[in-house]
Amino acid sequence: MRPLPGGARSSHRNRPLLATTAAAFALVMAATACGGESGSDDGVVELRFSWWGSDDRHANLQEAIGLFEEQNPDVRVVGDYTDWATYWDRLATGTAANDAPDVIMQDESYLREYGQRGTLADLGEFGDHLDLSGIDPNVAENGVMEGQTFGVATGVNVSAILADPQAFEEAGVEMPDDTSWTWDDYIEMSIRISEATDGEVVGTQGMTNENAFHVYARQNGENLYDEEGNLAFSAETLTSWFEISERILADGGQPSASEGVEIAAGGPDQSVLATNTGATAYFWTNQLGAVTEAAGRDIELLRFPGETELERTGMYFKPAMYYSVSAGSDHPEEAARFVDFMLNSTEAAEVILSDLGLPANLEVREAITDDLSPADERGAAFLADVEDEVVDGNPPPPIGSGEIVSINERVYQELVFGNLTAEQAAEQFIEDLEAAIDNGS
Amino acid sequence: MTTLLHGKSRTADDSGTGAKPPRAPRKAAASRGGNRRYENLAALGFLGPWFLGLVLITAGPLMASLYFSFTDYNLIGDHQWVGLENYERMLSDSRLHSALRVTFVYVFVSVPLQLAMALALAMVLDRGLRGLALYRSVYYLPSLLGGSVAVAILWRQVFGADGLINQVLAFFGIQGEGWVSHPDYALGTLIVLNVWTFGAPMVIFLAGLRQIPAMYYEAAAVDGANPVRRFWHITVPMLTPIIFFNLVLQIINAFQTFTQAFIVSGGTGGPSDSTLFFTLYLYQRGFGAFDMGYASAMAWLLLMIIGGFTAVNFLASKYWVFYGD
Repeated sequence: MRPLPGGARSSHRNRPLLATTAAAFALVMAATACGGESGSDDGVVELRFSWWGSDDRHANLQEAIGLFEEQNPDVRVVGDYTDWATYWDRLATGTAANDAPDVIMQDESYLREYGQRGTLADLGEFGDHLDLSGIDPNVAENGVMEGQTFGVATGVNVSAILADPQAFEEAGVEMPDDTSWTWDDYIEMSIRISEATDGEVVGTQGMTNENAFHVYARQNGENLYDEEGNLAFSAETLTSWFEISERILADGGQPSASEGVEIAAGGPDQSVLATNTGATAYFWTNQLGAVTEAAGRDIELLRFPGETELERTGMYFKPAMYYSVSAGSDHPEEAARFVDFMLNSTEAAEVILSDLGLPANLEVREAITDDLSPADERGAAFLADVEDEVVDGNPPPPIGSGEIVSINERVYQELVFGNLTAEQAAEQFIEDLEAAIDNGS
Repeated sequence: MTTLLHGKSRTADDSGTGAKPPRAPRKAAASRGGNRRYENLAALGFLGPWFLGLVLITAGPLMASLYFSFTDYNLIGDHQWVGLENYERMLSDSRLHSALRVTFVYVFVSVPLQLAMALALAMVLDRGLRGLALYRSVYYLPSLLGGSVAVAILWRQVFGADGLINQVLAFFGIQGEGWVSHPDYALGTLIVLNVWTFGAPMVIFLAGLRQIPAMYYEAAAVDGANPVRRFWHITVPMLTPIIFFNLVLQIINAFQTFTQAFIVSGGTGGPSDSTLFFTLYLYQRGFGAFDMGYASAMAWLLLMIIGGFTAVNFLASKYWVFYGD
């Protein structure tokens, strides 16, 4: 490391510069590491609004934000969006770091978790800034826990069977009468379609989802959870539910176990309806548009099987998502005004349409009916059709129950791969879900 | 700050007196002392950001996670001290046991296969092929890409029920399985993915092979040793430090595998937990179930496991690693 004679002097002279550079570099690094909070000086309040979803939703919500900003020049709203899975990691870590977004899109599975831990504001406290009086009574109470409104429904959904009439026709099987079909009809129909098409078109994608079991439990006079947050279904009901899948699978009425895993991972775009390889699948009504588009065919909405067969009807209205306001928001009033705009203004609804469920505000829903796509119009009509049949809503799910999604997926896979019988699967499901709720409380 | 000022003034001093020849010897000594101080200062300055990073980004959270591992912490609320409860829960957590099984199978199958593959190709390339640089880059490429999200997505497509592999198999009349969606094959597919990223150890092996003096081989050839004997009695012993280095590194890497399993299974560790790696389950507990206390305890368990394996590796190395002189 001995410097060359000629260079000794100049390198010597450079040393202070070197040290200063290093120190400056360190300072810059430190400053950027700790900084980040940037206030605006022009009197405009900045809000952060986070949501999850597809590219379409990002574009729609950005457009709605633009409309809000036009009417409220004193507020700027920054969108903070991602897909479903990463959304919850980000929200959890952000909340833990006291850096939650001001306005948060919430889901039923996590609303209580966040609400009861004091991270969400009571939306009932904003008075004139946030008007909740126009909300559909079917879902108005869903975000209320122990007298506090932690979330308000963005829109309303109902669970339904989506059916492809063209697939039925090609298989030579008649479309079921959805006002009277039983679970046995459903099983038989699924198997017949698969047989008639040599498995080219399967009868059903399968009842892979815990929401579908929710309907079945209600039909049996039970539920997923009771008001105290305990499990409210019996092992017998769950066993008979898993047996339905076993019977359909045994006769090829639904995709094979490993095909099913891939289809489930692909979402609506990969569903058997979207790829024209199946006749029916289970979805929420706000997914009808996406499925119809992917299928390139007209898809019809059917009631669940068994609505008139068992003790009572099981279908229910579910808020598609919730708007919540962070308890730690620096600008709660502006945040409330923004939620009010999203909920109660026709302008916002005209942009969002049914993407967050059919608008929860009944007047707004009425006002935009003509703007809906044919698929969404059918969704709206279906919602109105079953309105009188829906008996009641559901108690808010307990803390920790968000895990039901992964528990169901796991147990269902064990079932279809033949590692567990229906009875063992039911036992495992209940054991895991109880443990998850125990851990949560 | 005072050191900095002090240092500065010394520099001014030195350069001010630098013109007088008679004092040259003493000045040189003083200047060397000054230089060292500046060099240290500069070194500290450049190390500063890294050091801050270590404290804030690594050591801080590390200690915090040790603390949280003894608490019931849900990430968004308060935490409570629960002592060893999280560690006790691990004993009866069947998913944790299955995650450990999956991870161990993965480590013990994929690491030896990967190293064998790396060594074999390194030896082929070491023979001085034409266009060696190109081959080296081509084989190294998967190492750079293998852990990435894009490649994991690609693999999910290639190994899917209707994927490339099965289309090729179908051409030969073979009905393939869903390689990533069937519990019997999903882990195997991920092991193949890991073996495929043999490039990094291969490059290191290649460098190691170059260090073996050719005269050993020449002498052995003169004595009539065949290529197999030359491999076992010259190449392998001379290469043991490199093998050891690769082994330690790849075991540590394999235990921490996350991205591939996360992407291929969509974050579930499915089908039916067959790709539920330890880190993936840790992530699910921490961020899916808000069980951050338990997840922290799991992280420390993993640290102990990796630490244990590395320690055993180093102890055992005394008996088989040959450092020459």
